[in-house]
Amino acid sequence: MNAKDIIQLNNEQREKLSEENLQIYEDMLIYIRLKSNKSEQQTEEVLLELLDHMLEAQAEGKKASDIFGEDYKGYCDELIKEIPGEKSSTIALFLGFIIIQFIAIISFVHGALGFALHYFFELGSDIFQLSLGKGFTIIIIDLLILYLFVKVVLKWIQGSAFKTKKPKKSLEFFQIWLISTTFIGSMVLIGYFMPDFGLTLDIPIITFAVIGAILYLISIILNKRYRITK
Amino acid sequence: MTLRSQLLKGILEGCILAIIDQQPTYGYELSVKLQGFGLTDVSEGSIYPILLRLQKEDLIQGTLQKSEAGPKRKYYHLTSEGKKALQEFKLHWNSIKPPVDKIMEKGGKYL
Repeated sequence: MNAKDIIQLNNEQREKLSEENLQIYEDMLIYIRLKSNKSEQQTEEVLLELLDHMLEAQAEGKKASDIFGEDYKGYCDELIKEIPGEKSSTIALFLGFIIIQFIAIISFVHGALGFALHYFFELGSDIFQLSLGKGFTIIIIDLLILYLFVKVVLKWIQGSAFKTKKPKKSLEFFQIWLISTTFIGSMVLIGYFMPDFGLTLDIPIITFAVIGAILYLISIILNKRYRITK
Repeated sequence: MTLRSQLLKGILEGCILAIIDQQPTYGYELSVKLQGFGLTDVSEGSIYPILLRLQKEDLIQGTLQKSEAGPKRKYYHLTSEGKKALQEFKLHWNSIKPPVDKIMEKGGKYL
């Protein structure tokens, strides 16, 4: 059974937990899942086992603390320590998928938008001067920013697990808004201030839309074939 | 880690191997069996880190199978490495248990 199928099964089974148990279990689930670079397959298998255990114990009137002790976070840490790391081929595939899809979206939006602005509103040119050095550097920096963004958000979510006092929704919204704005802003600024360098090519702007669409298609096929996200 | 929990972990590993050796077992069933034998001091959840470690060491293997009750469960069975480890555990245990029992009874006094 693939990890994605186990997640599906987990989603269905989880609804049978009592409200109190569900709260505890979901905190554990978030905390364990978000510890990165662990084997997804092994993680999901043990999460399903814990759920199964809680359901059986619940039927017998046992409490979650009877199973895991009072320190849920400590228990999860102990568990995480024993989960094997992800295979490097799986990590490489996932990173490749993210990079292809990222470039696909940027390229498509750039091409389609530029093309539309030129033909419908006569803004800009239908020929884009692509500075290879600049373009390449921006993509690399943007990917690094994206990586950092994902890390920060995951840390933020993980930090929200096992809080006895749930913080205000408005405060959480503001924190995430601030993080997102900072990262999107820095991506825009880098594109804006990066000087032209390297070889310059004149490319019809619609080409970017076509390349973007092709790359996106490739990413979808990859995902279907290797079940990267679903 | 305290000596007590280290001692307990090693013994628990041996017990888990012995139970799985009897027949393929899933997590909850395993904890029920351990408790049934009187190991009530061990919290139920503590078997899962051990099961993960035993899998990493290739002593046991888990497969998701349909259970009688319906949902898919992960059933564990021993690998040939696991069978060897169980034999070793039994050997060690049998050589250490009688003298320790005697010492505990006589309070360290010579026979």
